[in-house]
Formats: sequence, C-alpha cells, structure tokens
Amino acid sequence: MIEVHLDSWLREFGPRGTEQMDADSVGNLLELLEKRYPRLRFKLRDETGQLRRYVRVFVDGEDVSGTTGVATVLARARTIDILHSIAGG
Amino acid sequence: MEKRNDRTRVLLGTRKGTYVVEGDARRTHWKVGPVAHAGNEVYHVVADPRHPGDLYAAVNNMFFGPAVQRSRNSGKTWKEIATPLFPLEKDRKFEMNESEPSTPVKRALNNLWHIEPGHPSEPSTLYLGADPHLLFRSTDLGASWEPIESINDHPAKKNWAPGFGGACLHTILIDPRDARRLYIGMSAVGTFRSDDAGRSWKPTNKGVETPFLPDKHPETGQCVHHVAVDAADPDTFYRQDHGGMYVSHDRMEKWVRIGKPLGDDFGFGVASPRSDPGKAYFVRLDGRARVTGEGHFQVHEWNDKTRRWRKLLSPKAFPGHFGVQREGIATDSETPAGIYVGTTTGQLFVSPNAGKTWSLVPYQFPAIHSVSVANAT
Repeated sequence: MIEVHLDSWLREFGPRGTEQMDADSVGNLLELLEKRYPRLRFKLRDETGQLRRYVRVFVDGEDVSGTTGVATVLARARTIDILHSIAGG
Repeated sequence: MEKRNDRTRVLLGTRKGTYVVEGDARRTHWKVGPVAHAGNEVYHVVADPRHPGDLYAAVNNMFFGPAVQRSRNSGKTWKEIATPLFPLEKDRKFEMNESEPSTPVKRALNNLWHIEPGHPSEPSTLYLGADPHLLFRSTDLGASWEPIESINDHPAKKNWAPGFGGACLHTILIDPRDARRLYIGMSAVGTFRSDDAGRSWKPTNKGVETPFLPDKHPETGQCVHHVAVDAADPDTFYRQDHGGMYVSHDRMEKWVRIGKPLGDDFGFGVASPRSDPGKAYFVRLDGRARVTGEGHFQVHEWNDKTRRWRKLLSPKAFPGHFGVQREGIATDSETPAGIYVGTTTGQLFVSPNAGKTWSLVPYQFPAIHSVSVANAT
C-alpha cells in the first residue's frame, strides 16, 4: 500500500489525513483518488489528464511532475506527496 | 424625482478574491464585507436578477484550475457548482494562432471570464464565456453545462488569435425582447450575433478598424474589449475596442467610431445606465501606457442623442495614473445613476449622481478585475 499525503490547500477537496492506496502508476493513483473524492477531479489534472502546471507529485521524495509525470510507475513506491508548487505573488 | 433602493451592493472580482460592498440608501457610505475566494483570481462576479440573492463568480485558481461558485445569500457563503469541461469526448483539436498554428493541440479549459444570467423567460439558463474562445450554456442554473458547438467548433477558429489577456470570450449580451438573440465578444476576434439561440453566428464588426493588422477592416480579428447595450433601445450598443470607441444602432450590423474627438480613445470598460438611456460611460486610457492619461482619473460620458462628449471629472479631482479593466466599470439602476469604477491598483471610485460628484470607497482592495451591481436591473 502507498501512503498518500495531500497538502493543506488540497484537503478542502480530498482526504483530511493520510490515505492508503494501491496503484501501479501516478495516473492510476490519481484516478482512484478522484473516484474516492470527486471534488478533486480536475483540481490536480486538467481534462486532458495531464497534471496542472503548478501541481507537484513527489514519489518517495522525488518530484516526478516535470519528468515521467502521470506515467510514473509505482512498483516499489511507499509514499506519494501531492503539493502545490511555490508560485504566485 | 429621485428613486432609490434601500441598499446597493457592488460586487467586485479581484486578483485575490471576491468582495461585496454594501452602500447606504444615499450610496455615500460603504461597508466592505469579508473577502471570499481568498487568493483566487476572480474575473467576474454577477448577481442573477431573476433569483434575488443569487450571485455567481468566475473563480480562477492558478494551482487547481477554474471553478464556478454560487452564493444563494448575497455573498455570505459560497459553494462550488459544476464547472464546464473542455469537450474531449469528440477528441476536438482546437488550433490556436500562436507559436505553431499548424499543429493542432488538445487544450484544456483555461480561465473563466464571464457569467451571464439568461433571459427572464428562461429562469434556469446561464451563459458562461471562457478561454480559449469557449461558450457554454446551462439550463439548470449551473448544475451542468452544455458546450455551444457553433462557437466552440467554429470553422474559422484556427484563425482566431488571443489578446493579451488570452483567448477570452468576455462579453455575452441577451436581447431583452427575444431570448434567442445573443451577442458575444471575444479577444482578438470581435463581436458576433446569433438570432437563433446560438445555433449560428454572424460576425458583426463592420466599421471597426484594426490598427494592429495590415488589413484595417477585416470581417473578424478586431480586439473588442467590452460592449454595453442601451437600456431603452436594445438595438443600440456602445463598444470599447482596441481600435477606439464605437456605437451601433442596428444590432451591431455596422459601427460608427465616436471616440475620435477625445484624441486617444483607447480603453477597456464601458457601461450604460438603465435609468438614463442614450448615455454611455467610458474610461479613456492612454493607448500606450494603458492607464488614465494626463495624470488623473477620468470618465467620459457619451450622449447618443446630442452626439457629444462630456468629461465627468476635473483633472484636480484624483491625480494619478489608474488602470481599469474590461469589466471595471458598472452602473446601477437607480435615478440618478450610480457609476462604479474599479482600478487595477485597488481603488473603487463611486459617483451616486451620474458623475456629478465622486468619492473613493475607503478601502484598499487587491487589483480589481470586475465591478457589477446587484440591483442593476
């Protein structure tokens, strides 16, 4: 099982604490998360399925948002952190 | 004889949230309510006159995308309702005339720009304009949205370019005599009219110059900034375009430039008061600096009967350079008309008497994107 943590802003739409999930890719995990918490739909990803520009997904501490993104394989992943990036002003 | 409502609510969409500003009976003292949607870019807030107390907000979040929010208690609480989605089921590929116009790209819904309550005879209808050049209709007060394909899949769309604010569909107007007659404005495409409830559209830009294109009079490509309809004559429209200030008296069939006597007739916002038909208020800006010229805040009144301009403020009243965006000026429905102007530096100017006197609401807002009035109809 993978431990999923969402940052405080996202808890408005999703789980308030840690979520335990089983998924084989980041995209698959996000789909499952969106099914459990429908208000998360289109907050993390746009209609094309891609991560929004300022959403960051960390797999075991590594930011995959700008690299393998939703296609990232989660074979031995233990934790996922979903955060919004430092931006704005 | 002066006619007034007990309370006037001015609705502000700002760079950092939504504000409801409530005036007293004389519209001289104002109470600013708590910010809603804090931290979000709110491009438009509007009241639904068919359902008193209902407000809608076009909320754009740089992290988590756009959302439509509704309040059923005049802004005390808000709730997210359905947000239209880019219609991917048909694998539409909208081409944009950007860096690679020949490469079709799959696009997602970008910012929401304008929400327009439908005709009084259709009390559950809403319209929504969005980027990139998208128009949606809801017939269940925002529980769901249907894309208006005649615009969203328009055959000429590949040639439509965005303005600086994006590929925004920012103006939606409905003929008060006929729910089937709709008007829209898009940057940098121009205005269109539909006489059949959005099934087909006719470009309506004849007479509007495009100083930024080699062809000065194309059928489309005008960068319309905003359009207001005359309260007494729904065939008459006042238009602030990138290329100047215009009026049309024939359902936008042709436009006549009226701004030339002002010199630089650039600007973004225009409003026409319900209590004083035949008038329109424009905030004239320096076309290069995009702020009020000559070092002071200014609003100009166009009298369509006398075809004359009147400058409403003296240069000494409010010195400075102020930016005002396309939804940045609004009027109420009272007599004499109230005029409200929000600036990109967060001031809200108010005139409770059709421009005779002006004051500033004593509150520093974030940059103001939109101003509307809850009792405007």
